[in-house]
Amino acid sequence: MLPPFSYVRAQSLDEALAQLGASDTRISAGGSDLLGCLRDEVFTCSKVVSLSRLDALRGIRDDGRGGVRIGALTTIAAVASDPVINQRYPVLAQAARAVASPQLRHQGTLGGNLCQKPRCWYYRGEFHCSRKGGSTCYALAGENQFHCILGGQGCYIVHPSDTAPALVALDATVQIAGRGGTRRVPMARFHVSPRDDIRRETVLEAGEIVTAIDIPAAPRGLRSSYRKVRARGAWDFALAGVALALQFDGATVRAGRVVLSGAAPIPWRSEAVERVIIGQALTPEVAARAGDAAVEGAQPLKRNGYKVPLFRGVVREALLALAQ
Amino acid sequence: MDGGKRAGGRPGGSAVGDHAPAHPPTRPTVGGEGLRVVGAPLRKVDAVAKVTGRTRFADDLALPRMLWCKLLRSPHAHARVRRVETSRAEELDGVAAVLTGAALPMPFGILPVSQDEHALAPDRVRFIGDAVAAVAAATEEIATAALELIEVEYEPLPVIADPEAAIAPTDTPLHDYGDAGNLHKLIHLQFGDVDAGFAAAEHVREDLYFYEGNTHLAMEQHAALADWSPDGKLTLWSSTQTPHYVHRALAKVLELPPSRIRVIATPNGGGFGGKSDPFNHEIVVAKLAMVTGRPVKIALTREEVFYCHRGRHPTLMWVKSGVTADGRLTALHFRTLLDGGGYGSYGVASTYYTGALQTVTYRVDRYRFEGARAFTNKAPCGPKRGHGTPQPRFALEVQLDKIAEDLGVDPAELRLRHLVPPASVTANWLRIGSMGLGRCIQQVVTASGWATRHARRRPGWGLGLACSSYISGAGLPIYWNDMPHSGVQLKLDRGGGVTVFCGSTDIGQGSDSILATIVAEVLGVAVADIAVVTADTDLTPVDLGSYSSRVTLMSGNAALQAAERAREILTTVVAAKLAVPAARLVCAAGRLFDAENPELGLAFADAVQLAEAKMGTVGTVGSYTPPRSPGRYRGAGVGPSPAYSYSAAVAEVEVDPETGIVVVPKIWIAHDVGQCINPVTVVGQVEGSVYMGLGEALMEEMAYRPARRLLHRIPSMLEYKSPTTLEMCDVETYLIEDPDPSGPFGAKEVGQGPLLPVPPAVANAVYAAVGVRIDEVPITPDKVLKALRQQARGGPGRTGPERFPDIPWPEPTVVPTPWEGGDGRAAGGADRSAGQRTAVGSVTPERQH
Amino acid sequence: MPRPRPTADPAVITLEVNGERCAVAFAPHKTLLEVLREDLDLTGTKHGCELGECGTCTVLLDDAPVLSCLVLGLACDGRRVRTVEGMAEGARLHPLQETFADLGAAQCGYCTPGFLLTAQALLDANPRPTRDEIKAALAGNLCRCTGYLKIYEAVELAAARLRGEDAEPARETLYGRR
Repeated sequence: MLPPFSYVRAQSLDEALAQLGASDTRISAGGSDLLGCLRDEVFTCSKVVSLSRLDALRGIRDDGRGGVRIGALTTIAAVASDPVINQRYPVLAQAARAVASPQLRHQGTLGGNLCQKPRCWYYRGEFHCSRKGGSTCYALAGENQFHCILGGQGCYIVHPSDTAPALVALDATVQIAGRGGTRRVPMARFHVSPRDDIRRETVLEAGEIVTAIDIPAAPRGLRSSYRKVRARGAWDFALAGVALALQFDGATVRAGRVVLSGAAPIPWRSEAVERVIIGQALTPEVAARAGDAAVEGAQPLKRNGYKVPLFRGVVREALLALAQ
Repeated sequence: MDGGKRAGGRPGGSAVGDHAPAHPPTRPTVGGEGLRVVGAPLRKVDAVAKVTGRTRFADDLALPRMLWCKLLRSPHAHARVRRVETSRAEELDGVAAVLTGAALPMPFGILPVSQDEHALAPDRVRFIGDAVAAVAAATEEIATAALELIEVEYEPLPVIADPEAAIAPTDTPLHDYGDAGNLHKLIHLQFGDVDAGFAAAEHVREDLYFYEGNTHLAMEQHAALADWSPDGKLTLWSSTQTPHYVHRALAKVLELPPSRIRVIATPNGGGFGGKSDPFNHEIVVAKLAMVTGRPVKIALTREEVFYCHRGRHPTLMWVKSGVTADGRLTALHFRTLLDGGGYGSYGVASTYYTGALQTVTYRVDRYRFEGARAFTNKAPCGPKRGHGTPQPRFALEVQLDKIAEDLGVDPAELRLRHLVPPASVTANWLRIGSMGLGRCIQQVVTASGWATRHARRRPGWGLGLACSSYISGAGLPIYWNDMPHSGVQLKLDRGGGVTVFCGSTDIGQGSDSILATIVAEVLGVAVADIAVVTADTDLTPVDLGSYSSRVTLMSGNAALQAAERAREILTTVVAAKLAVPAARLVCAAGRLFDAENPELGLAFADAVQLAEAKMGTVGTVGSYTPPRSPGRYRGAGVGPSPAYSYSAAVAEVEVDPETGIVVVPKIWIAHDVGQCINPVTVVGQVEGSVYMGLGEALMEEMAYRPARRLLHRIPSMLEYKSPTTLEMCDVETYLIEDPDPSGPFGAKEVGQGPLLPVPPAVANAVYAAVGVRIDEVPITPDKVLKALRQQARGGPGRTGPERFPDIPWPEPTVVPTPWEGGDGRAAGGADRSAGQRTAVGSVTPERQH
Repeated sequence: MPRPRPTADPAVITLEVNGERCAVAFAPHKTLLEVLREDLDLTGTKHGCELGECGTCTVLLDDAPVLSCLVLGLACDGRRVRTVEGMAEGARLHPLQETFADLGAAQCGYCTPGFLLTAQALLDANPRPTRDEIKAALAGNLCRCTGYLKIYEAVELAAARLRGEDAEPARETLYGRR
């Protein structure tokens, strides 16, 4: 049973933007995270604005410059099975296939996956935690085996998205519409660290809607992959994961990005790993050093110390697999 | 609302029904020669209803003018309830009634010695989720809104978070009964001269183990619907495994004569033990129906089901074994400490079960058992598949693996050398009938290639072996009485149909189909001609319920007796009519005919008409009471069973030393079922048990999260990890058919036993793969990594409990073993005939089981 | 006098359920699961968590398996829904229903409707799925009774029959190994 609200199915983007006036109005794209949050009473809302009629925000198109534009309403399943994505950006296809469950991949959208709320059980429970405006992070002294080892401050969630780290690794850009027009934000700056603002997860302002994600053309020699370790092969969020998008010149890594999932409150770009591997061939020795670098500065909590060796192993294995 | 379930053969079969198996033609020869439908892989009688969405589960029921009930639950783990103010809720538009504890003052509980629950907590809440008030309203929305208008003044009390905290003496225990403070139950039994046994041992091991609690997670959430008629009759439909006990609890708490109460158990969307207690929500909707005069329904949310719990007790264990050089157990000393949660539930029985079945697999010469159950401020624990026995089985089978290594003996060989013989009596006076464990071990050893593959392990890969046994129903009832445990009535219709009436409850295991199959076999009619009416206290004779793996054996035997009596009636009248000796008549293919001249005979329907003309309405009854157990000491009531099933399993695991992740590609399992009544459902029970055992081995845990003064579990199916298709292993299932004289056609249990060997087999295989011992379940990656790190630093490479706390054990009840010349009684008179009264019960605890 | 939280007026939508067009009115915050069970009396669709964490409430929405507990009823205006009640053709069971019944793939039967519909979507898209493809497709449906194995076998047998093959179950599926 959901709490009561009214429902508007916007016929156009302008109507949707116009409907987003009141503070407790919520957007529904696929709706799967929204309904879960409402049932769990993470927040309340009096009006739901559905975007489902906005067909222009759905679909995967070549941008004519070798990149692609993915409409924010494109389902995760469509991203996972798209031949162009699979061919050019395996990291994104693999990340999409690692999301939630088959049914949820049919329902959930790429825009929704980037904007989903944290999965911390205190945040989802009836705790008035710091992210909800309280003064305590209950996870810090409580049950924190699934929480962050990097980037926490005042709040120790991990960002739940699998596709976001892949898109950061691919240097994608988010297109955002508001009543004042559109703006573009690089994926690497889309999510907000609790160090900057503990109450928000993204740079989206009230009244704004994510309309598309642009991925630039794959550079020559790009190889990419997503590896996710979790308790179960369905539903579960990453205990540790890594998105790799590396440009190879022969056996040598010329450039690229390494982004960790399940590590930090935001998709965590690991420049420490990048520094180790760029300019190098991915030998077992380099991969091992990269694994160590991934957890440099990690501050495990009382019950998630296992993540340190886990990340070491996952990063090492993922690099070696990509090098083959 | 709940008509008989017409048994189905395959659609498209012949009009009279199909006697042959649904599937041609390769039926192997099995234990019972000449059987027609017993042993055939027939479609279950309710299968079509289930695949078409027609099965009406409790939450699918609705009645005109029905109200919705919601419960207000405590946010405190332990608190005094100072005041409950309901007036604002009562004034809300659409609210029909609000109840508090004062309306239902009578305590209840499944065991006569643990009548410690109230439908609504009158003065004290003992776990987060304990109910304090209830609302009946026109809609679920209104009922929910009304809960927010009820004001409860709580006075938080100190929280008992774990069993160790419960050991300390206290002036303010959680309950006003129990054996010592917050220790609900203390048991100390000694069979034979255990010290002499250890003295005779050539090798002695002591180990500690922990088995985490877990829950049933049946896919259907509990639901109940009550209807009160102005003529003073109450009907309750509920997703319960035990309508008979719900019937008794309703009569007690509502103070109504049982004859005015009808309980109908709806088909259970999974049980696994989680729907075996009478629950507060069942009593509350009944009371609300009486108060409002309208039907009242409740459907629990998934979160509320976690509060109902009654799942596996978290159990800490200390085991000391003495063995000879060839591995014979000269003495075994077993200690268990169970975390019981906030109420008694089946806990006294659970505690005894952690010590009862250690003796039924391998010969144990002398045995001492100390068991304790603690009250803590958590959701109450109770019976889950295997009830109290998977925990000690895990400890015993992992320790045997260590002993085998200590002695340099192959673990399979060690077990095979010392099997309990069939038709024997154990040290603790359990009577063993058929015993197929040796064949089970040989089967999985052969199938898995154990002999060559176990020894030749490669890094990160290993095989592990473990065995187990389980009861086919408890030998004693929950409340002491001399009546049958199961009853069946048969009605024979002039048209040739047969209706089976039985109180048993189909929870998905197929018990309705078992009844139909047995009756069809005896009377020679098609299963499709049998209608089954079950689990309705107005219509069906008592069956105690779907728990302790008792239904196939007990209701099956009752059905067998009723059917044989019906056959007797029919053969008597047909023999007279055809002038053939009754003994020569055969019931088969829908006819009764002369075995020597098959042409001479009558159609089954004609035989029924003949009998009805001669004798009046044709009906018979059958019932089953288990045989008396030879154990006569206090505590001998838990463990006896008419027959014990046996299982052996080999697990194959792969362990990633980088991540600690354990993958189980395959399990080979052999199960001694006595005789299959329906092999498809038997294989299904084995596979389902392996699945649940795998979940307990690798991931399932009912974890509690301390935060400030609360013990808070975030109760959801996301956080409670159960295996998906991607974690489930391949299973090769071998069935051993060695008919047991106690079972119908020789059948023994299969619903629970095959779970037990899986967790220890996985733990033993992890050791084979990476050389570390994980002496607790679930075996999660963090525990494997911890042990590997410890090993890399030169430590023992073990994750598991480090100590067993001091517990004020009572003096032992000393019972001489059969081979010491004992007679089943305790030395010094602490036996069942002493009939001591406990603090709260009118009967001794051992008499409830 | 206190009143319940205000509920918006019922909305009316038209959708196609199991091949029949129907109009139905309900409060805007109701999920497709609730609309099916409470307003259309199609109680064959079950619920296990109402949070998207078990797969029990799976139905086909425009032929794709979705969790009806996480779909708003209003989002289904003009769309096609198929539930377990719509799988049989008249009195003839769908091949998946036949094989689930024969192979013991339904024990308690509570998760069965969700599995059947997810499996139907799989076979509609992929008539010859491998065992691994079946596992992947069914990974979002929990079952606590069967251990999934009989479900895989039932899907494989139904797939073969849908391809027109004269397939029978393996002997060990029906009898175990001896």
